[in-house]
Amino acid sequence: MHDSDAQDAATVQRAALECEAIAADLERLKTLIADAGDRLMTSFNVVGTLVPRPAHSEEEQRRLAGAIATAVTALQFQDMANQLTSHAQGRLTILQETLGRFCDDVDPLLATTRLQPVAQAGMGAGSIDLF
Amino acid sequence: MQSILAVDDSASMRQMVAFTLKGAGYNVIEAADGQEALEKARAQHVDLVLTDQNMPRMDGITLVKQLRTMHNFAGTPMLILTTESSDEMKAKGRAAGATGWLVKPFDPAKLLDVIKRVIR
Repeated sequence: MHDSDAQDAATVQRAALECEAIAADLERLKTLIADAGDRLMTSFNVVGTLVPRPAHSEEEQRRLAGAIATAVTALQFQDMANQLTSHAQGRLTILQETLGRFCDDVDPLLATTRLQPVAQAGMGAGSIDLF
Repeated sequence: MQSILAVDDSASMRQMVAFTLKGAGYNVIEAADGQEALEKARAQHVDLVLTDQNMPRMDGITLVKQLRTMHNFAGTPMLILTTESSDEMKAKGRAAGATGWLVKPFDPAKLLDVIKRVIR
């Protein structure tokens, strides 16, 4: 094999690993968003149910209605984010398959030793370690 | 009380739609895709259909087409609420018999205003 061929193979291998890492990040993001959405929705429903509307002044009622309307619009982010990440994942899969045609062996160590900036898959409070 | 069939495969979207519509005094029938919506539409009276476009099993445009073939849905307003915003898709929705096309995310007041204008 020529030196340039070996370099090409290494480049393709690296690109394939990048795809794999991005796909994993996207999957985690999707899980986080879904969890956050569920929690926000639950809280939102409790607030919406318990707020005693007749006790508020007109101005307060107007502000409350505005805040709830804004929240209803904002809370739709889960559906949209989910569609976007699914779309990106689909494109990555195609890219991975395309790259896979150029190289058969991918060193698994390269993928597993990468730094993972966000490892949690939920929006609940994190654990506390006291030393 | 007027009944609205709200169709979306996203549970959070269904919840936001139901919250908005119930708050305005409508009865809301929920379905997770076009197929389930079709089954529910056959079983009960519906005054308006509000459906997503991209869903598993049956999409919104197909649902509208199927409902328009049913005698009791010939004049029922049908709105498509979707992230799709291309003119091509809107034209397909119109050709299928949709009454309107709303792009997500929706603003509660605007959604209610549109529904009030088209519901009979």
